Amino acid sequence: MSTADTSEREHGGDDIVAAEYVLGVLPSEERGTAARRIDAEPGFARLVDSWEVRFAPMASAYEPVDPPASVKPAIDRRLAGAAAPAAARPGMWASLAFWRGLAVAALAALALWIVVPYVIAPEQQPQQLRLVASLAPHDSDVHYFVVFDARTADVGLSHVTGARADGRDFELWLIEGDKAPESIGVIPVGASVHLAVSQALVDRFSSGAVLAISMEPAGGSPTGEPTGPVVASGDLKTI
Amino acid sequence: MTPQDITKLIVRTSMRDRSAFDLLYRQTSAKLFGVCLRVLNDRAEAEEALQEVFVKIWTKADRFAVSDLSPISWLVAIARNHAIDRIRARRQRTAELDEALEVADPQPGPEAQAVAAGENERIYRCLDELETDRAAAVRGAYLKGESYAELAERHAVPLNTMRTWLRRSLMKLRECLER
Repeated sequence: MSTADTSEREHGGDDIVAAEYVLGVLPSEERGTAARRIDAEPGFARLVDSWEVRFAPMASAYEPVDPPASVKPAIDRRLAGAAAPAAARPGMWASLAFWRGLAVAALAALALWIVVPYVIAPEQQPQQLRLVASLAPHDSDVHYFVVFDARTADVGLSHVTGARADGRDFELWLIEGDKAPESIGVIPVGASVHLAVSQALVDRFSSGAVLAISMEPAGGSPTGEPTGPVVASGDLKTI
Repeated sequence: MTPQDITKLIVRTSMRDRSAFDLLYRQTSAKLFGVCLRVLNDRAEAEEALQEVFVKIWTKADRFAVSDLSPISWLVAIARNHAIDRIRARRQRTAELDEALEVADPQPGPEAQAVAAGENERIYRCLDELETDRAAAVRGAYLKGESYAELAERHAVPLNTMRTWLRRSLMKLRECLER
């Protein structure tokens, strides 16, 4: 460890650097370094995000001011130089390709976040120890990221958007091919939650299997099969 | 427009849906322009910054999915960070102008009103636990993008002292927020 690291630790370490970045007090050069770290280090990016969340209420002090009408056409001109004409079509919101695309983009971001500590760990186990899925909304705004770890028989769920209806629960299902959905369990409330996977089910997790979330009565489906609408789903993928 | 509506617009923007982007602009440009104006203190520069902010939103919208921020806070963070990047780059050039505007800044302005309105937010309660001048330094830095150098000058302390002060304040804030 270098002296710089030691002194940084004494001053609160990366978390305080993240806070300084969010607050905006860093001099130009250090600010640039921090910005590059946000792109390169998912762990540091999470620290920055947490401080953005903490300070966000202060932004209510910014008074809205209507920008002059000339700004939007100027933005459009900039985008015209950078991107192809709008690809939006009516009905795109509902199309499968749209949601697949979103899931892929979200997965890429998630995979980076998960893979980095793995690349650093020396003994990587053979295939399919870890699977990820982005459960994208179906006629809802429910969106979860899921990470499955076979070694610990654990499913970690990160809640992106979408609330439960009053008195209802989200239940997570594993679907292999044409087989009937198997319940993994009722998803606990929270931004980042875990479900233990029964040993019988662990082996059923594989790349290509589908995870789905249905809206069920509080406590979960009374029948052992999904009874409510599927609000989100996605394919499991190896990382 | 609810936060969920804004979320949908951001997600659709990430899929290159131009009509969603246009609507997102209509719904949020006034707030983001307010952010740029406050930090940059210069109308022409704020207008240019706002253009760049929306180009960033267009190209980086997919990153929203991995943030814990509410949609409007995420947009504000892009605008704030961009405006602060700009002001850091030009700081030398207009230090005098900023100072002049600083004096003209009314004391109990909209900021104070917003503070009063959001008093139940934990961040305000935790800021109240700091000494008054340190809480003011944190607020000033956040809202106006003041640098360590500017804060040190205003509080008439050496740069390193200012940095130590503020870092301690941030650690106290973190401790209070996690309580």
